[in-house]
Amino acid sequence: MKTKLIAVAAIATTLTMGLSGCGSSSSSSSSSGSGGTIASKMIFGGPPEFKTRVDGIPGLEKNYGVTFGKYTVTDTGGPVTVNALKRGQVDAVDLFTTDPAIAANDFVILEDPKANFAAQNIVPIVSKDKATPGVRQVLNGIQSKLTTDGLGKMIGEVANAKKDPADVAKGWLTDNSLDTTGSSAKGVSLTVGSANFPENVILANIYAEALKAQGASIQTKLNIGSREKYYPALEKGSLDLFPEYTGTILTYIDKNATATSPADVYAALTKALPANLVALDQADAQDSDAVVVTKATAAKYGLKTIADLAKKG
Amino acid sequence: MAPGGALVIGDVVGWLTDPAHWQSTPFDTGILGQLGAHVWFCLIALVIALVISLPLGLWIGHTGKATWLVTVANAVRALPTVGVLVLLVVIIAPNFYGRTNAGYLIPTEIVLVLLAVPPILSNAYAGVQNVSPAVRDAAFGMGMTGPQVLLRVELPNALPLIFSGFRSATLQVIATATIASYVTLGGLGRFIYDGLAQQDYPQMISGGLLVAALALAADLLLALAQRYTVSRGITGRAGRQAGSDSRVAVLNEELASETA
Repeated sequence: MKTKLIAVAAIATTLTMGLSGCGSSSSSSSSSGSGGTIASKMIFGGPPEFKTRVDGIPGLEKNYGVTFGKYTVTDTGGPVTVNALKRGQVDAVDLFTTDPAIAANDFVILEDPKANFAAQNIVPIVSKDKATPGVRQVLNGIQSKLTTDGLGKMIGEVANAKKDPADVAKGWLTDNSLDTTGSSAKGVSLTVGSANFPENVILANIYAEALKAQGASIQTKLNIGSREKYYPALEKGSLDLFPEYTGTILTYIDKNATATSPADVYAALTKALPANLVALDQADAQDSDAVVVTKATAAKYGLKTIADLAKKG
Repeated sequence: MAPGGALVIGDVVGWLTDPAHWQSTPFDTGILGQLGAHVWFCLIALVIALVISLPLGLWIGHTGKATWLVTVANAVRALPTVGVLVLLVVIIAPNFYGRTNAGYLIPTEIVLVLLAVPPILSNAYAGVQNVSPAVRDAAFGMGMTGPQVLLRVELPNALPLIFSGFRSATLQVIATATIASYVTLGGLGRFIYDGLAQQDYPQMISGGLLVAALALAADLLLALAQRYTVSRGITGRAGRQAGSDSRVAVLNEELASETA
């Protein structure tokens, strides 16, 4: 009994030691980049898909020759990413241009002169049989007034001032005199969906409120999770209207899409959409990806554009 | 792979057998590295949980005091793990600066320990408590002291239940450690989480398979450890060649001599 106990203890200890060896070897792989560029000494933080997306890490490498030392998966332009950059866990991150955290933390957006990041203009995707001329008119009216700055302001009100997205949406409609009541969407019933981040919820609310004011009967399914969940619902018709981003929805439908300019992306999107869905006008407002660093990092290496990251550091 | 398209098992096998997916590069951590990280997260949590809950469970079972602790620990099982994790990250992560991932590792370990403590604690308690009073009285009657009774009589008798508690804790921790990837850490959850985000479903399924394989392997190891530590008198494996019980063996022998 006693010898057996000792034997088991010995096995357990060897296992523990062997396995802990594994663990520490995996965590020590962070240092040592090759080449000696500024980027090679940096850890990049972003969502998982940024690592493989055409305009993600592969695009930065192809367009600018920028290769980062290591990639840490944070979240999709959310608090984890902001926190990791702020606390120095990572040196450069992928954030969205409308993120109020960029201004709040004095982060610097590196310019993208070679248009690596695909255009991400806001576009409503609608079921074709619900896209009556009246609905189109209401939504396209909104699209023509949406701006990146205006969107950033609204996100700030929701994210920082903790206002209700529906109230913020109504406020924006009033400010842009789009809240007029009428009957152009009368008789149409639509289910409006949104993804689970403030900006998308605000946009869905704007569409919903404006259509409601024009007589449409509206149901909302806000804060649905990922695109894997809501896109099939949109395709099958259990959702009728969804605020989308031209670049992302295009690459979701067509993995091999290469268009980057707003016009090209929009043209490719209208072709790629299935027959029962239609993209209305794209807005000027963009919520595109950007490589973001702290002010201190930008000052230390003299960074202005993404290309500067490929310089010797 | 198109969303909703048919997924061939061959894609998953292909992903798993690609040597490039097993090796780590400075930029990317491979399967071996993530497996090591996963095991490491689990070991930390299980060791801490064992150190906390095994002595406590034995003591509660032995003395019969503070049994409410077992109830409280079982109530903790109802906590939503991801919710607690995110809450703890929000509280703890901003206190760390620089390259360290401690701000994410500590919350993850707390969550995993919370998950592992209840089964170990309640099984240790139940194991000791369920030792036959006759056995316990006999031990005291032989002049054993309290600690001696606990360690030499109650602990060996409770061992099967303690093992079963530890094994279920291990399975839960291995499966749940995938959430480490939700808060920037590595581990096998990385493949599940990244596979979903990158629409690389073979990667995602492979991640799930690897977690399942690790859980089975760990359970097998613990089953072996249990077999060699639990007394044969308790498992009923004594005198296996002759029958399931030594008394049966004696009977068999008598029967054999009678017929001869």
